[in-house]
Amino acid sequence: MYDNLIEEREVRARPAARLDGDCAAGARAMLPLLVAYAPFALMVGAAVAASDNPLAAWLSTWTIYGGAAHLVTLDVLAQGSGWAAAAVAGLLVQTRLSAYSTAMAPDWAAATLSRRLLAGILLTDAPWVLTRARESGRRGFYLGAGITLFLAWPAMVTVGALSGDFLSGNPAAALVPALVLGCTVATQLRHRPVLVASAAAGLSAVVTAPVSAGVALVAAAAAGTAAGLLADLATRGGPPEAVAS
Amino acid sequence: MTVALAVVLVGGGSLLLRVLPLLGAARIPDRVTVHAGRAGMAVLAATTVRTVVQHRDSSLAGASVTAPVLAALAVGLGLWLAYRGRSLLLAVAAGLASYLTLAAVLAART
Repeated sequence: MYDNLIEEREVRARPAARLDGDCAAGARAMLPLLVAYAPFALMVGAAVAASDNPLAAWLSTWTIYGGAAHLVTLDVLAQGSGWAAAAVAGLLVQTRLSAYSTAMAPDWAAATLSRRLLAGILLTDAPWVLTRARESGRRGFYLGAGITLFLAWPAMVTVGALSGDFLSGNPAAALVPALVLGCTVATQLRHRPVLVASAAAGLSAVVTAPVSAGVALVAAAAAGTAAGLLADLATRGGPPEAVAS
Repeated sequence: MTVALAVVLVGGGSLLLRVLPLLGAARIPDRVTVHAGRAGMAVLAATTVRTVVQHRDSSLAGASVTAPVLAALAVGLGLWLAYRGRSLLLAVAAGLASYLTLAAVLAART
């Protein structure tokens, strides 16, 4: 808490130009990822267009704000499994967002309510993982990255809904979002607990490949957290170290 | 109606999952945030592995085995470059280029 108060004072004292610089750096960091996400967004757009209620499916681009959950929800509906099964499947995929949001708490605890709300609304994989690699100016960087994606993602989904998934027909394009996120994680694997957690989660993903994405990701999160905790205990015999995570 | 109900539930639930921990940020113990961060990284690692394992490419012979192996080689190269400190753009481009090259070579031989 004390650290947060100090940081809040630093943020207030930080010149506006510095905050703008952090924000611009976040936006710049997000630009290559937009290219990588484009085929995936077109795929989501095509699923939106093919849905029984394209307007509702399109409007939810801003609230679901996650391609995998959006696709899973529409896919379960298309199979005729009903709204309850679709909602459960979609929400299971989204449970990771609560982990991201919780992990952001130290950076945002002293921020104003409106800023925290904005940070939550903008939250998804790419801005979160990009910001994790940043040592300072995290809030401005996150907002820059998050706003950029929040504007671009619905636009790309809309293009996909209007034009179809001509790009996502290339199998290599389906690899790109995972490749981008994986490479961002790889830059942070020098911390042993994160390495162990990621390895356990990867193993879990192989084992759970036949089951639904939501269940598999929850299992991976549990496996990763348990493995990270064991790595802490094995190396230090004590509680986790915030800096190294 | 079914679509609207489902997407409203998933959208509303997603917003709550994003916003609630941040609204109570000051009350979350540091240890919990550390574990949550690792859980998040674990999910991203699992997403990458799952994408590789489930990858399919109909242009390749024996696609159910060949495609995940090619994807693993390509993604592995990208991850290794990123781990070694190369730029994200270079790592992704190298991974993607290696997949396209290997897939073209294999497709030409069959």
